[in-house]
Amino acid sequence: MKIEGEYLFDGPREEVWKLVRDPEVLATCVPGIQTVNKVNDSEFTGEIALKIGPLGGTFGGRVTVSNEVAPESCTLTVEGSGKIGFLKGIGHVVLSEQPGSKTLMKYSGEAQIGGKVASVGQRLFESVSKGMVKQGLDKLNEILKQRSAA
Amino acid sequence: MDRKLIGKRVVRNEDPRLLTGHAQFVDDVQLPGMLHAAFLRSEYAHARLLKVDVSKARQHKGVVAVFTAEDMGKDWQPGPPLVSPPPTVKDVVFHSRRQVPLAKDKVRHAGEAIAVVIAESRYIAEDAVEEIEVEYEPLPVVLDLEKALEPGSPLVHDDLDSNLAARLYQKKGDYEAARQQADVIVKRRIYIERGAAAAMENRGIVAHWDAQSEHLTIWDTTQAPIPIRNGTAARLGLSEHQVRVIAPYIGGGFGPKIMMFYPEEMVIPWAAMKLNRPVKWIEDRRENFYATTQERGQIHDVEMALTRDGRVLGLKDDFLHDTGAYDPYGLTIPLNTQSHNMGGYDIRNYSSEFKVVFTNRIIATPVRGAGRPHGIFVIERMMDAAARELGMDPVELRKRNLIPPDAFPYEHQIIDQAFAPLILDSGNYKAVVDKALEMIGYEKFIKEEQPRLRREGKYVGIGVVPFIETTGVGPYEGARVTVEASGKVNVATGIGTQGQGHFTSFAQVVAEQLGVKVSDVRIVTGDTSEFHWGTGTFASRGAVVAGNAVYAAAKSVRQKVLKLASKVLEAPEEELELGDGMVRVADIPQKAISLGELAVLANPLRGAVEAGTEPGLESTSYYGPQYGATAFGTHAMILEVDPETMMIKIRRYVVAEDCGTVLNPLILEGQIHGGVSMGLGNAYYEKLHMDENGQLLNASFADYLLVSSTEMPHIEVAHLETPSPLNELGAKGVGEAGAIPVPALFAQALENAFQERKLEILEMPLSPNRLFELLKDRQAVE
Amino acid sequence: MQSTFDLTITVNGTRYERSVEPRMLLSDFLRHELGLTGTHVGCEHGVCGACSVLMDGQPIRSCLTFAVQAHGHEITTVEGLGTRDNLHPIQQAFQEAHGLQCGFCTPGILTTVKAFLEQNPNPSEEEIREALSGNLCRCTGYQHIIEAVQLAAEKMRK
Repeated sequence: MKIEGEYLFDGPREEVWKLVRDPEVLATCVPGIQTVNKVNDSEFTGEIALKIGPLGGTFGGRVTVSNEVAPESCTLTVEGSGKIGFLKGIGHVVLSEQPGSKTLMKYSGEAQIGGKVASVGQRLFESVSKGMVKQGLDKLNEILKQRSAA
Repeated sequence: MDRKLIGKRVVRNEDPRLLTGHAQFVDDVQLPGMLHAAFLRSEYAHARLLKVDVSKARQHKGVVAVFTAEDMGKDWQPGPPLVSPPPTVKDVVFHSRRQVPLAKDKVRHAGEAIAVVIAESRYIAEDAVEEIEVEYEPLPVVLDLEKALEPGSPLVHDDLDSNLAARLYQKKGDYEAARQQADVIVKRRIYIERGAAAAMENRGIVAHWDAQSEHLTIWDTTQAPIPIRNGTAARLGLSEHQVRVIAPYIGGGFGPKIMMFYPEEMVIPWAAMKLNRPVKWIEDRRENFYATTQERGQIHDVEMALTRDGRVLGLKDDFLHDTGAYDPYGLTIPLNTQSHNMGGYDIRNYSSEFKVVFTNRIIATPVRGAGRPHGIFVIERMMDAAARELGMDPVELRKRNLIPPDAFPYEHQIIDQAFAPLILDSGNYKAVVDKALEMIGYEKFIKEEQPRLRREGKYVGIGVVPFIETTGVGPYEGARVTVEASGKVNVATGIGTQGQGHFTSFAQVVAEQLGVKVSDVRIVTGDTSEFHWGTGTFASRGAVVAGNAVYAAAKSVRQKVLKLASKVLEAPEEELELGDGMVRVADIPQKAISLGELAVLANPLRGAVEAGTEPGLESTSYYGPQYGATAFGTHAMILEVDPETMMIKIRRYVVAEDCGTVLNPLILEGQIHGGVSMGLGNAYYEKLHMDENGQLLNASFADYLLVSSTEMPHIEVAHLETPSPLNELGAKGVGEAGAIPVPALFAQALENAFQERKLEILEMPLSPNRLFELLKDRQAVE
Repeated sequence: MQSTFDLTITVNGTRYERSVEPRMLLSDFLRHELGLTGTHVGCEHGVCGACSVLMDGQPIRSCLTFAVQAHGHEITTVEGLGTRDNLHPIQQAFQEAHGLQCGFCTPGILTTVKAFLEQNPNPSEEEIREALSGNLCRCTGYQHIIEAVQLAAEKMRK
């Protein structure tokens, strides 16, 4: 399943890049995140509580940042597996400066689910994942604004 | 032959038990100390199994055992091949790869069983399954049939050099020569997929090993208890007489329950012996979508050669068939397709090659129709395409090519699913087609009603599809009929029953021979301790093959009754009459004896039984047909489509069928109605959606749409009877007939409704969405 | 450790008191705890209707109901309709009209029909199809079931 879109951040590109490229920050933005463990500067693991349709459960997950071209683009990979199935997502993120000290993020990628959650939740997966991406980016934007206010 | 009871609408013997909730289904079996099993199934369609760690699951409270492939040791063996390998026909290819009890090293379809948890309750077992940790190495998934055969494709079976499971070529006459002589060549690519059988009862098995008496009892939702008994005994090193398999009341079969040696059937009896406690496994609905076999798709490249006046000179059909991850069922489905892609037409030149392809999906085995719907869909689409090309009425074109009544037995010179020559035994095809046309009011609809409705802005179309159905195949079935001291009659046969009324139709056959009430005939099916030899219920053969064995055994008992009664009543056999459970001398009613008393006399406590005779009033007979009888039918339908929502409303649906002698019209009609409802699902509602990773996306009834009471039309059924010369009852099978022509019928009626848009339908199943897309594509072309 | 709940429930007129786990489904309770195996389970997600029983006279999906949710209520299953020697008119009608083949979906249909005919004693064919649209049958194509319901309505009106 394809995921693509755009998001306008209220901050300069350098600042947005710092946040995007920091797995610990990303971790706090993932909706349903429960625990976070930093593995190294480019990787962290955690537990996500997720509900898709009638199925809910926790996924042990890993987020990795790669292909970095600072401050423009990188690839984010999310993998999770749990009792209700597994999910995999890979997204390419490109940042561009916008007038008024804003940054446009363009993202495009693929998401895949399997196991129990695929057979009963697939219809809902698209809207759930879009919702999660928006929630996550909104949170990231909040952090961005807090940091620049400070 | 007497027709006092055969052919009558007798109500069913089995109904009171079923209606009051007192019929035993497999999940109703409760045994002291019984344990419950739950399986861990693969989440990936194709992956290496790097690690399977069951240690946590084993610790779970209430868990008695957890088994993997490794734990089975030398008892781990793939299932046996279920059909004989094909004959050594020129260029035939056949790679037999069978399913395994628990996956070892690699999983080949989503849902493949990896481990089993056995616990005090199913709830606990399922909890423990979630604690099994598996490390998968996902592999690229093989799904597309054409890509699967390309060099460099990932392989479902690493020990083969491609995903080609089988290849078979058949021909008749000389298609190339026919092609040269043709005025018109019609060529099409046709896709047809089917779906899950989705019987209301999921599968299940209970196994009980009694170590003291060294006897294994298995209750199984199988359509073939005797082969299960034989194979299980062989696998476990037991004598066939130490194993009893009971297929009690079964909640619908439709084909997948005759797939044998499912992983669960290999694991559960083994586990019961190992643990020395009874073990039960009942499938849940989601598992049914993943672990029970289905029938799926074929891609056909077809060509038909015709003369200008509509004579079909020849047909060429090369196709690919999806067998899924394994092929235990051999070539049955594609061979059935070949037996049907000439339909009931007199086609003298034929060339057809099929390739069976391994994919990372659940195994495909027969589901009601078993490859026949694919064949009929192909020939009927080609007929409609040809009719358009020739500017001819599609019904007229068909009539010009139907096999005439004097051409039977008609030899097709190709082999069928039993590797026997395909011979159509008898029929009166034109009469059946005419009956359907009359019932639907074809002429009136085309000339008056349709134009009027069109002017009102409605899209209403008509379809008429004739079809054959090969039925009643061998090898054989048997039956034993016994008159008991009570005067009631006991009958045992080796096949099973899944709702098709054997308890009644067979009783009618016996009751007519012995002059007793239908309700006084007790039929036992599906219990290997009652009857030792047989095959199973499949291929629309129950009534034909087992029914004829019952008939032969009943006639033999009748002879014994007459012989003994003649002695006892001191009257010649010709003067004796059977009726009301008595044997009477005609015109001397006082000289009579009840069957019960006769049965007691036939089993003397003193004296001698004559050499060469048997005690009692009992006979066992077997029937094996020379070849399968072929039935014929025609379905016709008028359907309306809402041009905005693409929802359909079937205004009329008629069936004219000829299945030879009808045993019980009530039961027959029920079979037709049920078959049509499955066919309707295959045409417009049911589709298994799989994503590009081999994940089934609609594994529940919320998303896999079965036809409900509001989608079904009222169906009118007319019977014609051309008895089969192949068996004494003159019967042909009909179990699958309702489902076979429906996709073709739908396609034709939809095209007819949208004829001004020149819609052509070359795929099944459809859906409102898909119909919308096809019509939009047509608009774009214009 | 799982806690249990002391359940009191009346089924087909008989009162039962049992200790059950809160997560035990009503369908499993009826079938395996009480041995009333007439109610069948077809899908466990509330679509097929095979598990339909009456709770205080109204059809419910016993596969989507926990046993504890039926605490203090009256349940009617197919076993409460009639016996083999004394079939309820609805059961008689189903036999006469050949309204069942494998019989697996039948108990759920019978309970649904009982409640339906009590509300609508003289239904049209369309109303019957509508009322049964929540009960899936794979064997019959529904036609003989509809006829059975019409016959049952007739018998019950007498």
